[in-house]
Amino acid sequence: MHGTAVKSMLWPALLAGQLGCSSAAFAERVEPNEWLGRMGAAVQATNYEGTVIRIQDGKAEALKVVHSVADGVIREKVVTQEGSGLEIIRNGNEVHCILPDSKSVLVEEWDDQSTLFSTLPSSEVRFGNEYDVAVVREDRVAGRQAVLVAIRPHDEYRYGHRIWLDVETAFPLQTKLIAEDGSAIEQVMFADITLNGEIQASSLAPTYSTENFRWLDAPSRHVSRNVETEWHSTDLPRGFRAVATHGETMPGSEDVVTHILYSDGLANVSVFIAATDGGGRTGPSRVGGSNSFQAIVDGFQVTAVGEVPALTVQQIATSMTRR
Amino acid sequence: MNDAIKMQISAFVDGELPDAEADLLLRRMSQDATLRKQAAEYFEMGRAMRGEAAIPGMERLQERIAAALGDKVPDAIEVADDPAPNRAIRPLVGVTLAASVALLAIVGLQFSGGVADSPVVSPDTVADTVDDASYTVPAPVDDELVRYFQSHGATASELGANGMNTRLVNLRLSSEVVEEEDADSADDDAAVDETPQQP
Repeated sequence: MHGTAVKSMLWPALLAGQLGCSSAAFAERVEPNEWLGRMGAAVQATNYEGTVIRIQDGKAEALKVVHSVADGVIREKVVTQEGSGLEIIRNGNEVHCILPDSKSVLVEEWDDQSTLFSTLPSSEVRFGNEYDVAVVREDRVAGRQAVLVAIRPHDEYRYGHRIWLDVETAFPLQTKLIAEDGSAIEQVMFADITLNGEIQASSLAPTYSTENFRWLDAPSRHVSRNVETEWHSTDLPRGFRAVATHGETMPGSEDVVTHILYSDGLANVSVFIAATDGGGRTGPSRVGGSNSFQAIVDGFQVTAVGEVPALTVQQIATSMTRR
Repeated sequence: MNDAIKMQISAFVDGELPDAEADLLLRRMSQDATLRKQAAEYFEMGRAMRGEAAIPGMERLQERIAAALGDKVPDAIEVADDPAPNRAIRPLVGVTLAASVALLAIVGLQFSGGVADSPVVSPDTVADTVDDASYTVPAPVDDELVRYFQSHGATASELGANGMNTRLVNLRLSSEVVEEEDADSADDDAAVDETPQQP
């Protein structure tokens, strides 16, 4: 096992031993940013198996999840417990979405090391002064001792996070995405979990025989990285800055779209700028905690998308201009 | 479902259930779709009662609450637990696989609104409209917009910022595409790179 992973799993116990204190006292003494740092390592390196409950927009669903990491290769199996029994099998960067009802397998390529929980804020609080991070209290989640870490934004341009971390391993057992008014936009929590147990190969295998299934390749987008652009926002919410600018061709199109990614270190907003033929769309849309806003600027279709409040994407989209 | 379990779910959604009971309830929920549905309803009610933007199906909130507490659900109220895709706004055959799938999935997940054929207005005009609003924020029903959601998710993931939400949405989008393919297989050949054999 990778050294970082070992360190990640052992550090709370070792530190607690050195301090000669209980886990509760230990949890309170550790700096919140340290918790987040350890969480980042734990998410990447921990083997786990359990049941996740996800509540969003009045819809609750259960997912059976098995996740292992060996020699840097992520293997994962996610099975939805509602509906058609969709299974997601990940082996490294190749992902198979198995749809038993339609006897189909959709093959997708994930070109990153992200996992189900990689959305959580990573190690350093590199998001500057836009959030407060605090250890709130001890709690219990999925039968395990946890510490609640709150990330609270200073303004209405970004969401807050509540994260319950396993005291022993720093693995996130429960997360909440918090709206401007304090309500939960999305909750993800383990109902039961086994951490760092031995994961059998059979646990990661498809439930169904896919021998006679149809296999389909998902279309891919093409990206030219680090392109120059004349476009910028004249009214960017505080803390956001451009971190990447791409030229992209979307599946099904040959037109190149300018894609600027803004980030405050935690929240991300993408702005897409596309030529139009005189038409175009305007206004807001939403998917869960993700919002978008479209506007027509100088004859271009400008679209801002991100896991931020509606206000943020609207302000960014409508403030885009060419130098 | 008895009143005790309903009260327990309500307390859970409000964050008022003791830890030990919450753990037990979660375990039961993981095995029982009815409990999950009930929790989802209460969760949605909480959002509405806190004055959040309107949620599809929440127009008759008082009746919903009364029905939930009294174990009677009016016929007219359809909870967004398994909304059927709005076939009226589904993409036409011939668009790309991902796009057509994505649209249906997003609609099917949680939304009833749509912005298809919305008129072009200036940003200023749009801002005024949005400020007004206690109405439902419409869902993205345009395949181009869906592709933007997907691209954002992929790009954010490269920064280590991709979310469970985004990933699952994308997967659902993809899966719905395939299911849609089944329904319209005669017309979708051009949009799908189908391989005859298992890799």
